[in-house]
Amino acid sequence: MLQPLLEIKNICVEFKTRGGALKAVDDLSIDVQQGEILGLVGESGAGKSMMGAAILGLIDPPGRLSSGEIWFKGQRIDQNPEPFRGCEISMIFQDPLVSLNPLKKIGDQLVETILRHKRMSRAQAIDRACRGLIEVGIDPERLNAYPHTFSGGMRQRVVIALALASEPSLIIADEPTTALDVSVQAQILKLLKKLCDSRGTSIILITHDMGVISETTDRVGVLYAGRLAEIGITDHVLRSAKHPYTRGLVASTPKIDPDSFGRSLYQIPGSMPKLDAIPTGCAFHPRCTMRTDKCSQERPPMMKDTAACWLLEEME
Amino acid sequence: MVLILLRRLGQAILVLFIVALISFLIFRYVGSPVDNLLSQEATVQQRADLEEALGLNDPVYEQYFRFVWNAVNFDFGNSYRGSLPVAELISSRLPATLELAFTSALFALLLGVITGIYTAIRRGGLLANLILTLSLIGVSLPTFLIGVLLIWVFAVELQWLPSFGRGEVVQLGWWSTGFLTLSGVKSLILPSITLGLYQLTLIMRLTRSEMLEVLRQDYVRFARALGLSQRSVYFNHALPNTMIPVTTIAGLQLGSIVAFAIITETVFQWPGVGLLFINAVYFVDIPVMSAYLLLVGVLFVVINLAVDLLYLAIDPRLRDSQLSGDS
Amino acid sequence: MKRFFASDFFYDFVRSPVALVSFLIVLFLVLSAVFAGVIAPTNPFDAASLNLMNGFTPPMEPNPFTGDVFWMGTDDQGRDLFSAILYGLRISLFVGAMAVALATVMGVLLGLIAGYMGGWLDNLIMRFADIQMTFPSILVAMLIFGVARGILPPELRDEMAITVLIVSIGLSEWVPFARTVRGSTMVEKEKEYIAAARLIGLNRWQIMMRHILPNVLNPVLVIATITLALAIIAEATLSFLGVGAPRTEPSLGTLIRVGQDFLFSGEWWILLFPACTLLALALSVNLFGDWLRDKLNPRLK
Repeated sequence: MLQPLLEIKNICVEFKTRGGALKAVDDLSIDVQQGEILGLVGESGAGKSMMGAAILGLIDPPGRLSSGEIWFKGQRIDQNPEPFRGCEISMIFQDPLVSLNPLKKIGDQLVETILRHKRMSRAQAIDRACRGLIEVGIDPERLNAYPHTFSGGMRQRVVIALALASEPSLIIADEPTTALDVSVQAQILKLLKKLCDSRGTSIILITHDMGVISETTDRVGVLYAGRLAEIGITDHVLRSAKHPYTRGLVASTPKIDPDSFGRSLYQIPGSMPKLDAIPTGCAFHPRCTMRTDKCSQERPPMMKDTAACWLLEEME
Repeated sequence: MVLILLRRLGQAILVLFIVALISFLIFRYVGSPVDNLLSQEATVQQRADLEEALGLNDPVYEQYFRFVWNAVNFDFGNSYRGSLPVAELISSRLPATLELAFTSALFALLLGVITGIYTAIRRGGLLANLILTLSLIGVSLPTFLIGVLLIWVFAVELQWLPSFGRGEVVQLGWWSTGFLTLSGVKSLILPSITLGLYQLTLIMRLTRSEMLEVLRQDYVRFARALGLSQRSVYFNHALPNTMIPVTTIAGLQLGSIVAFAIITETVFQWPGVGLLFINAVYFVDIPVMSAYLLLVGVLFVVINLAVDLLYLAIDPRLRDSQLSGDS
Repeated sequence: MKRFFASDFFYDFVRSPVALVSFLIVLFLVLSAVFAGVIAPTNPFDAASLNLMNGFTPPMEPNPFTGDVFWMGTDDQGRDLFSAILYGLRISLFVGAMAVALATVMGVLLGLIAGYMGGWLDNLIMRFADIQMTFPSILVAMLIFGVARGILPPELRDEMAITVLIVSIGLSEWVPFARTVRGSTMVEKEKEYIAAARLIGLNRWQIMMRHILPNVLNPVLVIATITLALAIIAEATLSFLGVGAPRTEPSLGTLIRVGQDFLFSGEWWILLFPACTLLALALSVNLFGDWLRDKLNPRLK
């Protein structure tokens, strides 16, 4: 098997509070292959954004990466992520309305980013910026426009153009379409997919929307309470999930098909625990219909590289 | 854009007329001009003649317009103390106040912004916390107390700096400047610090809180994620966004420098218009009081207007939103 | 009362060294001022009790002529500085408190009227507030003081100085109260209980006073604490400038003014003790006010 592009090994992201240290991400390990789109799905507060931020060392204090290693292209990067930011690994955030500096023309922001990572003349950088805009579907004449003159969808395209400016190998997209209209969402996702295909860029797509996952991703990881519950090829996970939580998630996604009409929407009972009240053993066990005694005592490791659930142990 | 300019200008002029009205009312109706100009033995006839001569019997609005017209022509009547024309009194003392105001504003702005940025970037650091504590004290202390204490330490005990007056001044045409002599500059130091200290703490705290707010914004986070250098993030992205509210509020503060100048000039016996005003209040010298009020009013209105327009010029978002009618 | 001591507020209060210390200092100063008549060894206002030979006595040293000892020394006229400070504190606090009271009453009333009646009345009051706010309040206070002095005949000027001081400071600080109360009033006005009161037949004044007023008073306390600190400083400043409390009834500001004159001739105590007292007062009122505002501000919770 090819060496993965990104390897995350047993990372923990902790917050120091007066009551003790809270773990937003707890012993998480996951890999990203070259040229794949990996989805990270979970409810709000599951730790997906934290994970994304951890890769580039962008966790806001008082949080910090307290243990674990992150390897990129065979190099360890968690101690020194700065050289990789915007260069080999880019990140885009949720709300395009606030991702761009309101006082700077988008052309200036593009040129600045390009010049930061590649040596070239200013004229060449401007040329590069124009081509970048065309690639994301924006008229290069708008190079001198200010962000507030763009709509939400257009702004996200600018953000993507900025992230692509230095031709990174990996893009971390943290809920890139959540703040946009549904119709615009589809366009942006299509754009991301197209760019990924044409350049061989890998994407980590963080979202809470199962629809986005099924449309766009090759593989998907399911996060719960800061832990990886399940990982696998998207089609397999959605159709035959191994982890009870994933099954619950899929079942509770509203579908538009004639069979679903007339049936009430399934909801997983209870809610995800807060960081200071994570249950012992498997974090999901209080809400799980298939729990055993072992589930409340010991935390299950990742079984068969698929799901972290004691139920899979019997199958061995 | 032009519409906005005209609207602001119109508002400003209206306020000016109201200020002029108040000034006029004080001038005309507080105390008695006639009593102050004549001795106590004046006869009733002499009074009546003087009243007629001064135009005190004309309709009020006529007197008002005459007052405004005179003001525009820099004629503010004569002081009750010594009968010198008020305009001359003010103009001879204006340079002193302006130099003091300018120096202290510069001091407050430069030091305030620098310490503000520093305490925002180095949040939680020892020096930063020390500066913040000192600033709290600076805000709580009355200006005159700071001045008096500074005099005591630096002029009386250490004898490094003079304790009153402007030192030697050089006359450049109408203007008299203290910048060109050593004693002039030395005399400027303590008063400038006294006058500027309050502004400094204000600007510092404002810069700090605005900077902290800006640094929390997503576009700063995004800039970091794009790999831009720390320095670029701070000075190229965060700082310009911080400076907008800071400059506007600092600009509005310019007005209060004028007010506090009165206090500082009194502490240091600085021969400016502030000292002139406070003496006028003490001796009930009405023409000086009303003229000062008018001038200060004009100054404030102009400053407010300028700051408004500056704000519009800097922030591109406002230009467009103003056009669409929401303000 | 018991509920107060058990409340969160009190808990935070005794845990915060800043709040505790500043409050105690303020309390100490206030009590000293209130009981000045009892604590002070002499009455500094009684000109007859002054002995010029006592003038310029350093603190804690016996006077070479009379042998009297004064804790904080005497000024140029033989006044015991300790007593003068106590009485001066009294004036400073009295003027501050009365000025705030005036500003509060005036501001709240005008705010209520502007908010409830709306229309041209609202416009007029707010325009006036805007114009007044373009000027720093200390300037407004000086101006009012000057005008008042101009109106009063010369004989009355010193006598009425304290009253004029209160009025001028009070009138310069009403706007924040009015603006806040006006905002809250405009919100409350639309609520159902007001419509109900109108249906019952209550007239406008009754509605404003009995129904709206109690509901808009919350932020007033916060503004009042800020204004108190400002008023105390304003009084000290005006007195220092010579346009406040006169020498016959000196406040801390006046005493400092006198003290400054004697700095160069070496009688440092005439300046130091009043200055320290004012410093302690200003700092602790400000610090306690800051802490109080932080605690009362729901947004920061």
